[in-house]
Amino acid sequence: MALGDALSFLIYPFAASVAFVLIHAYLGVHVLRRNIVFADLALAQLSALGATVAFALGYAPVSPAGFAYAFAFTTLGAALLTATRALSRVVSQEAFVGILYVAATAATILVVDRSPQGAEHVKKILIGSILTVEPPEVIKFALLYGVIGLLHWLARGPMLAVATEAQPAGRSRLAVSLWDFLFFLSFGVVVTSSVTTAGVLLVFSFLIVPAVIGSMFSRAVPVVLAIAWSAGILASALGLAGSFALDLPTGAAMVMAFVLMLALAGLAKMLVFVPATQRRHNGRMAANAVAVLALAAVLASSLWLIFNPAADQPLLAMVERTTGLGPTNFLDDIDGATYREAVRDAVRFQQEVAALNAKERAARVGAPLSDEEVRRVASYQQSFNEMARGELFVEDVLRAKARRRERWIVGLPAAALALAGLVLLASAQRQKTPRTNAGPA
Amino acid sequence: MGVVTLNRVARCAIALAAALAFAASAHAGLRVVAATTDLAAIATAVGGDLVTVDTIVPAAVDPEAFEPRPGDLEKIRSAGLLVRVGLGYDYWLDKLVRQTGDDRLMRGGAAYVDASTGIPLLEVSGQSVINEGGHAHGVANPHYWLDPENAKIVSASVAEGLARVLPADRARIAANRERFLADLDRAIARWTAQLAPVAGVKLVAYHNSWPYFARRFRLDVIDFIEPKPGVSPSPAQLARLVAGGKKAGVRAVVHEPYEPEDASRFVAQKLGVPFALLATSVGSVPEAKDYFALFDHNVVTLAKALGVPSQ
Repeated sequence: MALGDALSFLIYPFAASVAFVLIHAYLGVHVLRRNIVFADLALAQLSALGATVAFALGYAPVSPAGFAYAFAFTTLGAALLTATRALSRVVSQEAFVGILYVAATAATILVVDRSPQGAEHVKKILIGSILTVEPPEVIKFALLYGVIGLLHWLARGPMLAVATEAQPAGRSRLAVSLWDFLFFLSFGVVVTSSVTTAGVLLVFSFLIVPAVIGSMFSRAVPVVLAIAWSAGILASALGLAGSFALDLPTGAAMVMAFVLMLALAGLAKMLVFVPATQRRHNGRMAANAVAVLALAAVLASSLWLIFNPAADQPLLAMVERTTGLGPTNFLDDIDGATYREAVRDAVRFQQEVAALNAKERAARVGAPLSDEEVRRVASYQQSFNEMARGELFVEDVLRAKARRRERWIVGLPAAALALAGLVLLASAQRQKTPRTNAGPA
Repeated sequence: MGVVTLNRVARCAIALAAALAFAASAHAGLRVVAATTDLAAIATAVGGDLVTVDTIVPAAVDPEAFEPRPGDLEKIRSAGLLVRVGLGYDYWLDKLVRQTGDDRLMRGGAAYVDASTGIPLLEVSGQSVINEGGHAHGVANPHYWLDPENAKIVSASVAEGLARVLPADRARIAANRERFLADLDRAIARWTAQLAPVAGVKLVAYHNSWPYFARRFRLDVIDFIEPKPGVSPSPAQLARLVAGGKKAGVRAVVHEPYEPEDASRFVAQKLGVPFALLATSVGSVPEAKDYFALFDHNVVTLAKALGVPSQ
């Protein structure tokens, strides 16, 4: 797949992602400061509910009526969130946000239930379709977010002050509520527009993850924003490229890329942006943590193999794939030959089924098969499928037999070594932190 | 003497009227419950005014994503005949029928019709009917009603079931079926003639619902946009589709309801070919009001997309 083709596929999704990151990361900084991380999920779901209601009433979601409905529901949510902020002294606002999200999701399902073809609409809102975004949409996003960004820039003083404190000095309750409401309103507009293209999960990632990365390194808003924007754009590029290279659905790949970027930022923070002594300490801690995790995984996997050899063994299967070891190494000659034959035959029978499928498909446009011939093909396919299943069963039985032997040859030593390693690490840790019960001074 | 005779005549008349009314209500009261709208359409054609037909999966709802509700149990309980798709496509029906406890409605019962009996199946994958993957394409490709010739076999199964339950009306059922077959033959000739100019054309579809349709109308669906049911395509998959489609000379992208359209429209735009929304079931698009209208819509839409001049 030529690089040029790949780029032509990914350029518009990337442009849309950049627009999304710029506005959502900024709003995410606000959301983090106000400490209401799930509000964006709730508002996104409310705008999805509004779009679904519009759809059920016969309007296209991207029409003015669709947008109006979506925005109306988001505004309702914004009002509710503003009102519940006053109650946050009594009950955490997160509770209300969570309830709002659940109610909105349930209501969306109920609305869709009555309307045919509403399910495809809801599916689209959850998964998103950023890969197939069109150039006119990208331009619309850029313009809309430019306007909102400009408004926020002009109002940056009061907005940021209100974000950090519930009752900032020199501002009345009404003023605070008004700025709150304006924030949630602009938030609603942004999320309503982005949810139908990016999907609820990706919108959440755009909002929270870059802001978190930025906040890890600084408190000053301009620095946080700069880091958040760079991290977000880099993560989007990584996600899009990864989904292309690894053949993964785009939305999900991008979410994982954002999480990966967060993990890398965490590592960088621990290992790079600190004084030398702290860095050594952090490095040792990180190395220890990795070693403990790895040894614990090996120990658990070996114990699992010893006590339940016939079950699935994911770690062992991975090791077998990379080292080329397999069940045949632990079976005697006759069983080993049977296993190899079963593997070969299963593949052969599945190929026969595929060949029959291809033959039938070719006959649709070539010399046609009569109904009787189709029935005969179906009966052969049925037989081959059953034979393939028989061979796979033989494979499973012999693999279980091999594992039962393998558990003593591989499992027991591995468990012993892992345990020894963990004990060593624990004792090294104990030596480094001497007990403070050295007796009275 | 006159009064006695009048009483007797009156009593006979009342008895006769009551018997007629009872008989009429009994016949109009045979409720046929079909799993999907397509089987309901064929059952209506075969049963005529002997039956009232009801469907479990409502029109325009994706049968592969259908979850039954308590109301459906009531529907089945009062069924005089149950017509199902089979092949694991309507696996949820087994649980519902078990809950009614009525063994007439269970496999082998007098009021049970499995419409997949006798159908020449395509893409047999040999999995059990007990729906291992939770998905409807277990045993074979289940969309057999999309080949109008298979409707002849389905109507035979339904007619046989009806004759079992209404033995007195065998002749009428057979006559209804003959009329349906005659209409069907005429319609099949018309549809085949409309799509004959594009026989052998290569298409790309979103979901694998089309093998039976493709076999009847001699179309070649070379690839699918959806890599696995319910999973949206990755960019590499779309790139492969576009490259492969250009090489093979694909002439249209076929999309069915219930799925988001943007991936199909994207592929159609990249290939420079039309996008055709075809119906997979009666009622899934508003134009497909009954079985014949379903194919009228599909054939006309496909012909228009492929540039066949209308006759």
